[in-house]
Amino acid sequence: MKVANFAALALFAGLLIYAASGLPNRGDPTAVLHRDTSPAGTPSAPSYYIRNAYKDAATPNMVTVILADYRGFDTMGEETVIFAAGLACLLILRRKRKNPQGEIEP
Amino acid sequence: MSGLEFFVGHYAYWFVVALLVLGLYGMIVKRNFVKKLIGMTIFQVAVIIFFISSAVKKGATIPIADKAVGTAESGLYVNPLQHTLMLTAIVVGVATAGVGYALLVTIFRRFRTLNEPELMERMRREREAAEKQGNDA
Repeated sequence: MKVANFAALALFAGLLIYAASGLPNRGDPTAVLHRDTSPAGTPSAPSYYIRNAYKDAATPNMVTVILADYRGFDTMGEETVIFAAGLACLLILRRKRKNPQGEIEP
Repeated sequence: MSGLEFFVGHYAYWFVVALLVLGLYGMIVKRNFVKKLIGMTIFQVAVIIFFISSAVKKGATIPIADKAVGTAESGLYVNPLQHTLMLTAIVVGVATAGVGYALLVTIFRRFRTLNEPELMERMRREREAAEKQGNDA
C-alpha cells in the first residue's frame, strides 16, 4: 500500500518532468503562447488585449479590463461559484434544530 | 540548445513539479483530513504558479498601460490573460477550500475525529450497531 503510493508519486513526477521538457523556455517571447496572430490569421487574445485594453475601457490596468470588461460573464460565473460556496458553508455549518426530547433531528 | 540554456528555461517548471508532487503526497499518503486539504491547497497553488510563470516574457513590463512604453508593441508587456485567469482561480480555490473545511467541522462534530482509518472504524461500528438494533426490533 505504502509502496504503491510512493510508486504512483514517482511516476507522476517523472511524467510531469518529461512533459515539462517539451515546454518552451520560460520568458521566451517567441513562444506559441505569446504570438501576435493565431494559426488562422486572427489576432491572438493576449496581444489584442494589450493593444486595445486602454482604447476600449480607458483603464490602464489590462488585467482589470480583461476581468471586468472582456470576460465579464466569466467573472459573473465566478461570483456565482463563490455565492454557491458561501451558501453551502452556511447550510453545512448551520446547527440542526433540537426536538422537544432534546435530541438532534437528522 | 545548450544545457545551461535548457536549465535556465526550465527550472521554474521543476519547482512546480516539486510542489505538485508535494500536494499529491499530502492528499494520498497523509491520514489526517486537514493535512489532505492542505495538500489540495498546495496542489492548487502549484498550478497557479505554473500559469503565472508562463505569462513571463523576457524584456517585458507589468501589464499596466504606460504612456512612455505605448501599447502598439505587444512584446513590451507580460501576457495579461494568465494573470486574469489565475485571479479567478485563486478566488474559486479559496471558496472550495472553505466548503472543504466546513465539511471537516461537520465530520468532527459528528464523529469526534479527523483521522481517516479511525473515522472509517467508527462509521463501521455505528452502522453495525444500527443494524443490530434493527434486527432486535
